This record gives sequence, C-alpha cells and structure tokens, in this order.
Amino acid sequence: MEIREFHWLMNIIQNLEVGLVVLDTENRIQVWNGFMESHSSRLSYEVKDKDLFELYPELDRVWLDRKLNMVKTLNNKAFISWEQRPFLFHFSNYRPITGTATHMYQNITIMPLPDFTGEIQHLAILIYDVTDQAVARLSATPA
Amino acid sequence: MNVLICDDSAFARKQMARALPNDWPVTLHFAEHGQQGLEQILSGHGDLVFLDLTMPIMDGYQVLKALKEQEVRTKVVVVSGDIQPEARRQVLELGALDFIKKPCSSEDILALLLRLDLYQPGQTELTTQGGVNLTVEARDVYQELANVAMGQAADLLARMLGGFVILPIPNVNVLEVSELHMALNSAASSGTLSAVCQGFIGAGIAGEALVLFHDSSFADLAKLMGHTDQVTKSVELELLMDMSNVLIGAFLRGFANQLDTPFSQGHPVVLGQHRPIEELIQANRHRWRRTLAIEINYQIRDHQVQCDLLLLFTEDSIQFMNNKILHLM
Repeated sequence: MEIREFHWLMNIIQNLEVGLVVLDTENRIQVWNGFMESHSSRLSYEVKDKDLFELYPELDRVWLDRKLNMVKTLNNKAFISWEQRPFLFHFSNYRPITGTATHMYQNITIMPLPDFTGEIQHLAILIYDVTDQAVARLSATPA
Repeated sequence: MNVLICDDSAFARKQMARALPNDWPVTLHFAEHGQQGLEQILSGHGDLVFLDLTMPIMDGYQVLKALKEQEVRTKVVVVSGDIQPEARRQVLELGALDFIKKPCSSEDILALLLRLDLYQPGQTELTTQGGVNLTVEARDVYQELANVAMGQAADLLARMLGGFVILPIPNVNVLEVSELHMALNSAASSGTLSAVCQGFIGAGIAGEALVLFHDSSFADLAKLMGHTDQVTKSVELELLMDMSNVLIGAFLRGFANQLDTPFSQGHPVVLGQHRPIEELIQANRHRWRRTLAIEINYQIRDHQVQCDLLLLFTEDSIQFMNNKILHLM
C-alpha cells in the first residue's frame, strides 16, 4: 500500500463513528481512535501502552478477561449485545439535550488480530452506539 | 389450494410435507391435534386435509365426526399407522376420501393425488423458479461441507467447555416457510427455548444463523463454563451469547473456507428477550417461501446440554452456492 493511501485510511479510522480499541496480550492499549478520544476525553497519546483495567477500574475484569481470553484462545470473534450489558465504557448519550437515555448503549465486537505467523498478539474491540435502538426496544416492551 | 397436515408428531408432519410433490402450487398449514385441525379447517385452511387418527385432545375420528355433523365439505385423507380393516371402514364411512398407511413415501402421495385428480405433474414451475433446486449430488456436497464446518465448531465448543461434544449428522433440507414458522412458534409458545439469530452475507450468499437453546441445559452449561453464582436470567443470556458466538462463528468460518468466500456477520439479536418471537415471524411472513436449511443438534456427553444450530440460506443464495460447489461434484 502506498503511504498516501495509508494516510487516508488512517484518517477514516480516526473519524469513524465506531469506537476502535486495540489491545496487546497484556491488555495494554495500542490503538484508541477518534471516537474513543471524543467520548472518553482521553487522548490517544495519553492512553497508549496503558493497562486498560488500570485506566478503567470500573470495568468488570473477571467478565471481560474471560471474553478476551475466549477470543484469543479460540481465534473466534465475540459479540456482546447491549442486552447483556448496557455498555462497556460509560459514555454519555450522543444527544445530551434531546435524547432520553442518560448513557450510550453499546454493542461490542471483539476480534482476534492474528499476525502474519498466525499468532494472536492483538485484539480489537469495536464499540457501536446503539442507544436509539435500545431505547426504542425498551420503550416498546416495558420490563 | 390450502393443504392442512394434522398430526401430533412434528416428525410426521415434516415427513408428510416433504413427501408432497415439489411443484405442487399449494399453501401448507399444520396442526398439532384434532381440535387445532378443526379450527384451521373452519378458517379455510383445509381444502385438502391429511389427518392422523391417534392424536391428543381430539383424535382423527372425532374430527371426521365433527366435520360430518357440521356438514363441512372438505377433502380428508386419513394417514395412519393403524391399518386394520375396521379402522379403514370406519373412516371411509365418516366421509374420508381415502386412507393411506404411515409412513408414506412421495410415490404413495403422488399416486394418491393422481387418483383423486388433485395434481398434474409439471402443472407449474412456480415454486422451483425461485432457485431452490437441490439435486441429490448438491445435497451430498452441502452435507459434507456442513460436516466439516460442524466439526470445527464442535472442536471450539469442546475447547471452551472442556467437555466432549457428540457429533451429530447435519440435516440438509429445503424448508417450507410454514415449517419454520411451526418450529419457531412452538419454541415461542412453550417458552422453554431461548434463541439467538445472526445474519451473515458474502459474495451473493446470505442468510441467518439461529441458535436454539433448551432452557433445561442452562444449569449444566453454567457449571461447565465455571459460573459459580446462581443462574439468573442475565447469566443465561451470557451463556447463550457465548455459545452462539462459538457455534455460529466457527461454523461460518469452516463453511466460508470451503466455499472460499469470507462472510460478514451482523450483530446477533436475542430472540424472545425484548421482542416476542411471533412478532419476528409475522414480519417476515411474505418475503420468502422456501429456504435451504442446515440443522445441527449439538449435545455434550455426560451433561444435560442440548442446542440446535440452524443455518438458513435465502433462495437467491442457492444459485450462487451451487456455482461455488460445481467443482466439488
């Protein structure tokens, strides 16, 4: 790939309306895209190489570790629905004025990222904002 | 024409539905016992009825009597394992058109329909035009593809659970929309099944994967997965998602590798949690008629864990897949 192409591809990843976090096997943050920066108020260079669980002690470590391990050892994607956990990262609703939910509901995908030898040294976590969908569903069927 | 299959055994209903001619332009309906059958007939779903005799709540004789009393003119063919002359005499007296013995082959049915002048071969090509053409060779190939993919999924499952997964034989079939409705409906009404479905697409091949999980399996599964807490609804959901991630993910990867086509997967949806299953079925009722289905039943040895993986491919996908597997035949 040309360096120029690489540049605009990076630009897209940075501006994608999906959260992207890449972790190494020690749970250190390697990639933290623009969506994550904006919603967490933490800039990429501030979190780089930091332990995710130290930065976010409120994360359910036992639970998330289990998911991450499963993706790593089975080399298989994991999907987590907002119905299981409303969110992974506690972000505010994207529409703070007109939105009804106080936080952002999130669907999560965790994917293994094998290197060229096939070994999995990194995992990607994708965070989708599904607040509208969740609110619509929840209001349609009162629990 | 509306054709009703009334039998208390799901297997017998399925078998009957499959024995009907492929190009017969009828709408199929199903009933699980005589009373349900009678209701369906009265609401116009039974121009022709295949009626079992021994059923709970209301048996076949009672249905025939009720039809006679209410002077409902509907064509009834009795399908029964009880082939004693007395049974035969009785049902014919009660107004049944014919009597066939169970289990019946497609040849039996064909002969019957020709005899009753209800079907002409080659009458229409409507139903096969959609592309659901599954030759015996093609079915064998799909079966083999499914076998390999299933094995990979079982391997992952065994590694996740640390148990031995009993390998079943995958079932490859063309499923009528009504058959699927029936299966999902009974899942929805009994409330003893939980389900996750996930869409997938790639190179013209699209469909949905469904994991149906028997609720009685949760306790054992929780143990296998090392959950020590009480098995609450949220733990169940967690287990269900873990299972479907593994089963669907591994199966699709195995299937995709063999077809040399990667699939994109949508985010899975939990059925029955915040949306009733019936609602989902209703919404899709008219979009398709038939689907290529691969059914796999996974069980864990020495544990009460049972779940079904169902892969449903759209009609349009079948042509694309048939092209992909040409070199394998």
